[in-house]
Amino acid sequence: MTGSRARVPLAVAVALVIGTVAFGWPLFLRPESGMQPEQAPIVFALVLPMVLAVVLSEVAGGRMDARQLAMLGVLAAVGTILRPLSAGTAGFELVFFVLILAGRVFGAGFGFALGAITLFTSALITSGVGPWLPYQMLAAGFVGLFAGLLPRAGGRAEVWLLAGYGAVSAFAYGWVMDFAFWPFGVGNDTGISFDATLGPLENLHRFVLYNIATSMGWNLGRAITNAVLIALAGPALLRLLRRSARRADFAPAAASVASADPDAPDAPAAAVAS
Amino acid sequence: MHPWAWWCWAIGIGIAVSGTTNPLLLALIATAMVVVVMLRRSEAPWARSVRAYLILALFVIGMRLFFRILLGGSTGETVLFTLPQIPLPEWAAGITLGGPVTAEAITGTLYEAFRLAVMLLCVGAANALANPRQALRSVPAALYEASVAVVIALSVAPQLIESIARVRRARRLRGDSTATLRALGTIAMPVLADAIDRSLALAAGMEARGFGRTRGLPTAGTLPVMLISSAAATLGVFLLLGSPFWQTGAWLLVLGMIGGGLGLRAAGARLRVTTYRPLPWRFTETLIAASGVLAAVLVLGVGWLDPDTMSPALVVLLDPLALSPSTDPLQWPTLTLPMLLVVALVLAPLPLTRPRRAATVESTRNDTRVRLLRAQAEPEPTWR
Repeated sequence: MTGSRARVPLAVAVALVIGTVAFGWPLFLRPESGMQPEQAPIVFALVLPMVLAVVLSEVAGGRMDARQLAMLGVLAAVGTILRPLSAGTAGFELVFFVLILAGRVFGAGFGFALGAITLFTSALITSGVGPWLPYQMLAAGFVGLFAGLLPRAGGRAEVWLLAGYGAVSAFAYGWVMDFAFWPFGVGNDTGISFDATLGPLENLHRFVLYNIATSMGWNLGRAITNAVLIALAGPALLRLLRRSARRADFAPAAASVASADPDAPDAPAAAVAS
Repeated sequence: MHPWAWWCWAIGIGIAVSGTTNPLLLALIATAMVVVVMLRRSEAPWARSVRAYLILALFVIGMRLFFRILLGGSTGETVLFTLPQIPLPEWAAGITLGGPVTAEAITGTLYEAFRLAVMLLCVGAANALANPRQALRSVPAALYEASVAVVIALSVAPQLIESIARVRRARRLRGDSTATLRALGTIAMPVLADAIDRSLALAAGMEARGFGRTRGLPTAGTLPVMLISSAAATLGVFLLLGSPFWQTGAWLLVLGMIGGGLGLRAAGARLRVTTYRPLPWRFTETLIAASGVLAAVLVLGVGWLDPDTMSPALVVLLDPLALSPSTDPLQWPTLTLPMLLVVALVLAPLPLTRPRRAATVESTRNDTRVRLLRAQAEPEPTWR
């Protein structure tokens, strides 16, 4: 719906590249740069908000009408309510399934904006604003974005596709977030901690061990929650969202009447009059 | 007080903290931070967040200590105790669990963890002191639509809780009081449908009031400027992190940030809306923000100095090495004059701002009195 112009994919592509650097910074950090791991997130805390501002101003600004904006706000409110409900209970995250279904129905740009705005709003409500917030916004935005880019499918196949995507994206979200904050989770010089003097491959190996040791259960819990919720509530919720997407579309009524019955030249006038 | 002033102050202190591992300085900064928050926070719900951040900080320290002890590999001579060793297989990168635990390793880990904990506390202080709703009102105009969506979300969220209560009441009236997973669905679906209906009604209301009618076309050329600036800033970060060319990286970063800011400003120019009662940025705000920046400059500047090229008197006065005291061999940390200056800068908002008094506006008092009168005028009906 939103990503129809060429500007939005361009902005999103730049955000993808920057996101890769931002999330993968432990791989790029070299000892000869003289920068300490503790100082890296401060630099990103400067750059990422600007990148997010650029992408959000392109995705949301000027291209979203009042209907989409109201839908964005209300769905973000739903996510904001769900997030504190589900926080801290072994990865039982309820935010993502709304995000995935809405991204699927309303498109990739909407999904990105919804992911970023949901996380931002819930951080405001739970006062969780910090250096991790831009990362969370970007990661959740990408979850919604790729949900909007999934291939076409219908019926049961679509629900299975989305449930599978829910499980995969839960793991991906957990991994990239853990990776960006891995050097802070454990201290220096242990067998599973980040060490800039080792190569990227060796660090990746260490990260996998760290991840299995600490957050495998959380990611698994989140993946199962996503998949089960999408499989159970997906069909009904997709129908609900699609109906509202259709119902919210007032403008092309005249055009659709005209295309349905091209032989009736006074059909648009009749539609306006009624 | 302007929320961005608090954020600038807290981030500045956070950057200053990132440049030191001296536990004495860190403890002083943390205490000063908590004092400022306790004396200057408001009654709002977000002002109680410091507790959560303190718990999070303690959790960080505990987790790091746990991994340090469990994973062994300690260096140093002063062995405190020895755990039984369990070597893991080859695919596990040759990690050995357990082994001797030394005082040097524990102290080093504690210093690092303490630094991270105090950085977290700075973030918590900013969360407690800055009013998020006011911060939202001063976002750049290019983000107008996004901030409208956030405002909608913030104001619809309480209505949704009310909506949940309504749906549950309706279920109970129908005699359906089961509490299974299926019942959860029969609550969630009407609530979601209600939310979506609400969004349609809201959109109609916004359109009826002329929302989006003051928007011009996007200014030509803003997107390339913003994208190139973002890319330049990212390249700068990349160079800062992964190469010795930190000057080039820093310049690219600064240029990218300036370019991005100008681009966002130009992109916001298409919008002709005014701010309702804008918050003033006064001299006090500048002073508070400057105290944070100054603290960062002070710590990073002293840390950057090379003690070998300085005169002995200056070394005694500034003592750059005291910022990161040695843990192997163990050494008692010392405080120097610049560190006390940093603590003074953390406390700077105290004389600059006034404590927030509880709102005793005439009208609210009247309101309370009226409500009290009403309660007396309409007594509870008694059934005998």
